[in-house]
Amino acid sequence: MPTGTVVPNADAVETRLWYSERVSGRSAPSFPRSAVDHLDALYRVARRLTGSDEEAEDLVQETYTRALAGWSSFKADTNLRAWLFRILRNAHIDSYRRAQVSPVREDGGHDADATDASVGREPLRGDAELERLRSVVAADIDAALASLSVDARTLILLDLEGFSGEELAGILGCAVGAVKSRLSRARETLRERLRDYRD
Amino acid sequence: MDCTQVREHLKDHRRGALPTELAEALEAHLAGCDACRHEDAADRELSLALEARLPKRQAPGHLRRSIEEQVRESTRPPARATRAFTAATVAAVVAIAAAVLLLARREPDAMVAEALNDHLRVLYSTHPVDVEGADVHRVKPWFEGKVDFAPVVAFGGDDDYPLKGGAVAYFIDRKAAAYVYERRLHVVTLLVYRADGLPWSTAATVALGHVRAAVRTTRGFNVLYWRDGDLGYAMVSDLNLQELETLGAKIAGG
Repeated sequence: MPTGTVVPNADAVETRLWYSERVSGRSAPSFPRSAVDHLDALYRVARRLTGSDEEAEDLVQETYTRALAGWSSFKADTNLRAWLFRILRNAHIDSYRRAQVSPVREDGGHDADATDASVGREPLRGDAELERLRSVVAADIDAALASLSVDARTLILLDLEGFSGEELAGILGCAVGAVKSRLSRARETLRERLRDYRD
Repeated sequence: MDCTQVREHLKDHRRGALPTELAEALEAHLAGCDACRHEDAADRELSLALEARLPKRQAPGHLRRSIEEQVRESTRPPARATRAFTAATVAAVVAIAAAVLLLARREPDAMVAEALNDHLRVLYSTHPVDVEGADVHRVKPWFEGKVDFAPVVAFGGDDDYPLKGGAVAYFIDRKAAAYVYERRLHVVTLLVYRADGLPWSTAATVALGHVRAAVRTTRGFNVLYWRDGDLGYAMVSDLNLQELETLGAKIAGG
């Protein structure tokens, strides 16, 4: 995608990815058993989103329940994996809202903790940050991830699962350009947090 | 190309996913910018740390078995009376009718369950509405940019059925606009969502203004749902059915 190109709005992305009428428009005949192939990836993301084995299991179970219930709306030419992750993300927002732990941003706006890593900050000299990053362990990363907003954490985890910018835009319901800038800020913030843990 | 733009593209650049012209502009910037070179190196280290040091957890066996069973159940073909008419028995005809009825009702029932779940979320939440207001003209604009359709709700509440506010909800795989009304001590959740692709029941319907709504009772809650144009509507409450239909008629409009 050329620089600065921004899909006009989230609806356009969503419509293209999820409810496209451009091919046959027919729903797949039955829920594919191959959907279970994505179970480990869904669980992996769910576990890091929720921070708990039990909640992750509930979230994944809820994801498949919703997917089965909503299968008739799935179009044959859409991306099953991204569709499942979209449902997981929606289910997580629902459970989060229910728990009322903290507000979840859904409007594509910037998370407070994803904006504090400013572009103009002084870079570490002597590759000190690189050395720190090379020495972090899984527990450091888990703790740093857990300290991020749900939105920033979700972006980083989905990116780690290999989704493209366009797929992320479809999952999160926002424009590709917004996804890239939010992901960039989220990763900067994660690095800041990792420095904090190692200082 | 400034530093902010460069940093948004660093990851794509490392993946080789940038068009040539953009990649060249980015490399030219990196050649003259220490800060962005550092960002590139640090972001690369972050990727290595995330990919190599986070354990690749697998779903627990009992969860896998549960979901595999759930999927298997859903994909199991419905029982068919393949030799129904060879014996020409009444029992076979009844079996076919039952299978057809079951198939026809299964998906709409899933939609009823989803509507009830959304209602329960409203009941359980300490902050059931994100925007408060007894005026639909205040609540409706709030949804702009939050859902990918314009909810059409004719009724903005009155003394008998006050509107408490609205919130964004999720209905299966799509966003929904949730309106919360009250009737005495009863809470009524109205969900408005895009109707495309969802199954609709034509059984057990009642007239609500110019539409007909399906009626279900599940776990003590009454559910009314209907389709009007491109939008679907579901109302859920423990309110008695007569009063719920009265509210439904106000919402559906003449």
